[in-house]
Amino acid sequence: MIANADALLKPLTIKGLTIRNRVMSTSHAPGYGKDGKPQERYQLYHEEKAKGGIGLTMFGGSSSVALDSPAAPWNQVSVADDSVVPFFREFSDRVHKHGAKLMIQLTHMGRRTKYDTENWFPTLSASPRREPASRTIPKEMEQEDIDRVVRDFAAAARRCKQGGLDGCEVSAAHGHLIDQFWSPGVNQRTDRYGGSLENRMRFGIEALEAMRAEVGDDYVIGIRMSGDEMIADGLSHDDCLAIASEYARRGLVDFLNILGGQARDHIAHAISLPNMSFPVAPFLFLPSAIKREVDVPVFHAQRVTDLATAARAVHDGHVDMVAMTRAHIADPHLVKKLSEGRADDIRQCVGAGYCIDRIYVGGDALCIQNAATGREATMPHVIAKGDVRRKVVVVGAGPAGLEAARVAAERGHQVVLFEKQALAGGQIGVAAKAGWREALSGITRWLVGQVTKLGVDLRFGVAATEALILAERPDVVIVATGGLPSRGPAKGAEAHAVTTWDVLTGAVEPTGSVLLYDEMGQHNAASTAELLAKRGCFVEIATHDRMVGEELGATNQPVHLRELYKLGVVMTPNMELIEIYPEGNRLVAALRNTMTDAEEERVVDRVVVEHGTLPVDALFFGLKNASVNKGVLDQGAIVRGEPQPYDLSAGYALYRVGDAVAGRNIHAAIYDALRLCKDL
Amino acid sequence: MTYALPVLVFVMVALATAQALRRAAWWRQGAAAEVAWGPGLLALPRRYLVDVHHVVARDAYASRMHAVVAGGLIVATVLAGLAILPSLGGSRLYWAIVALAFGVTAAGSLLVGARRYPAKPRRLSGGRFQILPFLLLAYALGGLAGALLLALGAASTPALIAALALSGVGGLGLAYEVRRGPMRHAVAGALHLVAHPRPGRFRSRLDTALAPLDLDAARLGAETPADFTWNRLLSYDSCIQCGRCETACPAFAAGQPLNPKRLIQDLVAGMTADEPPYAGSPYPNAREVDPPAAPLARLIGPDARIHPDTLWACTTCRACVEECPMMIEHVDAIVSLRRNETMEFARPPEKAADILSDLRGAGEPGGRALSARTDFAAGLDLPVISARGEADVLLWLGEGAYDLRYGRTLRALVRLMRDAGVDFAVLGAEERDTGDLARRLGDEATYQQLARANVETLGRYRFGRIVTADPHALHALRNEYRVFGGEWTVVHHTALLLELIEAGRLKPGVLGGLSVTYHDPCYLGRYNGETEAPRKVLDLIGASRVEMARSGRRSMCCGGGGGAPISDVAGDRRIPDIRMGQAIETGAAVVAVACPTCTAMLEGVTGVRPDVKDIAELLLASMELGA
Repeated sequence: MIANADALLKPLTIKGLTIRNRVMSTSHAPGYGKDGKPQERYQLYHEEKAKGGIGLTMFGGSSSVALDSPAAPWNQVSVADDSVVPFFREFSDRVHKHGAKLMIQLTHMGRRTKYDTENWFPTLSASPRREPASRTIPKEMEQEDIDRVVRDFAAAARRCKQGGLDGCEVSAAHGHLIDQFWSPGVNQRTDRYGGSLENRMRFGIEALEAMRAEVGDDYVIGIRMSGDEMIADGLSHDDCLAIASEYARRGLVDFLNILGGQARDHIAHAISLPNMSFPVAPFLFLPSAIKREVDVPVFHAQRVTDLATAARAVHDGHVDMVAMTRAHIADPHLVKKLSEGRADDIRQCVGAGYCIDRIYVGGDALCIQNAATGREATMPHVIAKGDVRRKVVVVGAGPAGLEAARVAAERGHQVVLFEKQALAGGQIGVAAKAGWREALSGITRWLVGQVTKLGVDLRFGVAATEALILAERPDVVIVATGGLPSRGPAKGAEAHAVTTWDVLTGAVEPTGSVLLYDEMGQHNAASTAELLAKRGCFVEIATHDRMVGEELGATNQPVHLRELYKLGVVMTPNMELIEIYPEGNRLVAALRNTMTDAEEERVVDRVVVEHGTLPVDALFFGLKNASVNKGVLDQGAIVRGEPQPYDLSAGYALYRVGDAVAGRNIHAAIYDALRLCKDL
Repeated sequence: MTYALPVLVFVMVALATAQALRRAAWWRQGAAAEVAWGPGLLALPRRYLVDVHHVVARDAYASRMHAVVAGGLIVATVLAGLAILPSLGGSRLYWAIVALAFGVTAAGSLLVGARRYPAKPRRLSGGRFQILPFLLLAYALGGLAGALLLALGAASTPALIAALALSGVGGLGLAYEVRRGPMRHAVAGALHLVAHPRPGRFRSRLDTALAPLDLDAARLGAETPADFTWNRLLSYDSCIQCGRCETACPAFAAGQPLNPKRLIQDLVAGMTADEPPYAGSPYPNAREVDPPAAPLARLIGPDARIHPDTLWACTTCRACVEECPMMIEHVDAIVSLRRNETMEFARPPEKAADILSDLRGAGEPGGRALSARTDFAAGLDLPVISARGEADVLLWLGEGAYDLRYGRTLRALVRLMRDAGVDFAVLGAEERDTGDLARRLGDEATYQQLARANVETLGRYRFGRIVTADPHALHALRNEYRVFGGEWTVVHHTALLLELIEAGRLKPGVLGGLSVTYHDPCYLGRYNGETEAPRKVLDLIGASRVEMARSGRRSMCCGGGGGAPISDVAGDRRIPDIRMGQAIETGAAVVAVACPTCTAMLEGVTGVRPDVKDIAELLLASMELGA
């Protein structure tokens, strides 16, 4: 039972618009836009949440209202002309069909975008100050620019209304144009748009007044803004409170969507999109404080990953609507499960940031643990029962094996799952041992809960052998035996290096000085370095990349860097480990600069290496020859979403999933399993 | 000596009458009651032979025993009394017939004895009841021997004297026992059947609505035995202490300090100062009380005869009433006592005070906004009758609408009604609590306030009938609002769903092989006699239905009625745990329910157990599977 969960299931009425419950998803940019339009993939992604019972789903984070705020860099939505309206119509029909409401976010990003894309117009702002995050120097807006953008906001609002959307919000958060005007750190103007807070608020007021004039008083318009920018030259909490109160008092906005912080550089960005290193709902105090000053409903998102926290936020009166955006990426059926009394079945967001981190490198948002999200056209969130009941044996209870067992069991098959270890989780269990990465274990916890509930025959502590597997007389064998760490090609590494696994699992407990050589640029080395430094080791991370943690995304890398700096870890990029040899009771590690070829040596107590994993595949090859498909996955069938074309009357089919094929990541492992097993 | 036996009979009858009259003086301490004597007397044979027998016959041994011993006793005594007529007293054949009657009585006495010796069942009281078989046997054997001797022509022999003496001891003992002993039940019972306070319950009709209380009365509810009407005092004297009520009582089973038999005996004992000590099962785990010795004293209180815990442990499930062969109305007594505690002394259960206050002030026991009652259906666009003025069906949502779990049931019901094209509407923010809870907690004033307000609201709209998924609301609307001017056709949702299926407006799917056991809500089954519709719906959706040992009108309560969850009187176990245990024994995968209170109570049972699903949820699930 979730305390006060009923508080979440109360309707909220804003200007005659009744939202069926208090759970929403904020506008974000999953990178599903196509040609500046929200097309099928984008719509299906939100429709799934509507099916799943959400009250309000907002799409189109940073949807642009003007030509000089390009949609292209984010694969986002342009509301700068009327061609988007038919897509809005289709979209709103699709979402309304399931009883949910649909809104969009409108913005001009000002300086926070690129000039060198789409229309190649210079970026704009209140003053020509460069933002570190977007790396552009904007043009200072002339009055004509201001008047034009105000008209653009109004026209965009009209398009929302014409498209049947239930409302829209204006983004004045994360350093977009309206809050660029608000912020004394950006706005250096001396005209009627600069100087006093009253003047700095003017541009936003003009934009919202123009929108109101265009769509009328009964159309819902809100604003997304920070409750405290938390930087010296930014907006203080009192400033934000004053702005929120003034905009609400003037009747310009029907709701306030409050967040904490801003996003002008890497760490600010990571803080405003808190990952698993943060406590839950770290900025709930901000909307709570603003709610006390205004008469309009207050919304809030920021790491509300679980329903207990969400229920507390609403029940205790901190907010009127609680946004669980990432929580819905992990499980779009969250509200439905709550209201059906199946809260235990909710796949809870672990805060890995995989979804967001992909967006900021130009990818599409995908969930580390739910491979169906964003793939609604091809991957089911609810697995349908199949017509035949097969015997499926899965080997390995890491993410790939657990997902395979889960999906196969949902299909109605009889599933046996062998796991050599006493506990499930595989490599997740190793990764979760590192400091703030502990929440990864939530992925395993949910999968184990599901397979247990589905009646999968779980054989923990049993090392599967060919004989054991064949004794089950399987129709399908899925090998998900994962991988084991590689020590890499450096001379002497096999004898003298230990791996990050050895450190995380506690197999070795290094003391003194440690050289950690990382070839992956992922969490593994960074979090191992943090662990070692916290235990008192003197740690140097060397990597052949241009920087430490180069593969890590926008919400994770700054957190690692912050920790590494705080712990005094020495970071040495552009180095390759070429040799390790003992000297006395210590080790010498030879490094070569990848740019200059100059060689250096370190005399250390331990050399820890991270080279990823190599497949554990002996069992697979043992079973391969006798299988009907010789262990081959028909990729064409997988891509077409068809069952594998093998005749099972003659014996068993054999497949490999996850790192047992090649060392990749959790999402790849789970996707391997889902797409194979959904058609089994 | 021919006249000795009839004389004995007359002396017995005289003694019994004297004893009964002494007792009747105490009944007359009770309040006045209107009794239809003529129809009551005319109905007596049928009430006894049909209605009482229907209950008695559930225990086949007791039924046989009673028929033999009571039939024998009456026939033998009447025949022996008739021997005063010279023409009969001189007939040896006649005496042979008398002997036969006494023989039957003797056989019956042995059946009575065999039930109590060597060991009696726990539910039977001991004490003076243990002497009863001996008195019966003495009277019967003495009568048998005497009649036989007279039939053989022995006019005056020591043997005949001895036989008559034995019969005299037994017979006079039985007569003497009419005031304070087991035989009281015969006289009081017969009178009680004539003067029953709920004559409407005979001939298989239901008469379960609580009578409204005159709030201007000098004393509200019953404080002492004298506050009960005289015919209710009479009814308590008819108790034979068979203990069928305690066997059926859920609070007793849970080890809460309530035993309906003991309660009735406490009411009896409170009438006089010289009632023999109670010799049955106690109130389980009862706290010490310090009862005053004086008769007609205050009944409830730690310093009175009955601890308040006993009063508040009752779930008002009527299982005791349903099982009582003497047709005693235990729940009426409980409610009268509660009314006095709550309204005269302001001593409702501790946790009830705020709830009653919210019911008075907000029209809702949780103090929640009435407009929030429809929150469960946000997004479903529930039609509200105030916007339309009329509808075929007025859907009464009840308190369950505020509950997260029960919202699922109501959503399923709304979907089903939509699918079937039922033209329905809800009262929305105009629906108040029915007051059932207030009434069962003894707060008749709040109940009447709510009842009048609801009747007034409903009177403003036009609708064909009321449908509700809440049997407590159904009972209030159908049976208890009538005296406030509310007369409507009120239908339980299970009956509506069956009707819709049978009319072809809903096409049930098949939940093939799903084993389901149905738990009858007390206020639907026992209070309103509806047990078949939910079962038929289950059969129509292809559930494999299994019955719990207690089902239908003899079902066991979930523990949720009568404000018992609010009183929260401690016991050894929880009633819903016991009930769920009975469901688990059937091996069913699902316990089907049809009441928001049962749903909440049974869902609250922890551990591995069947799922709890409303009939509406199961029907909808079958249709979704079928579709």
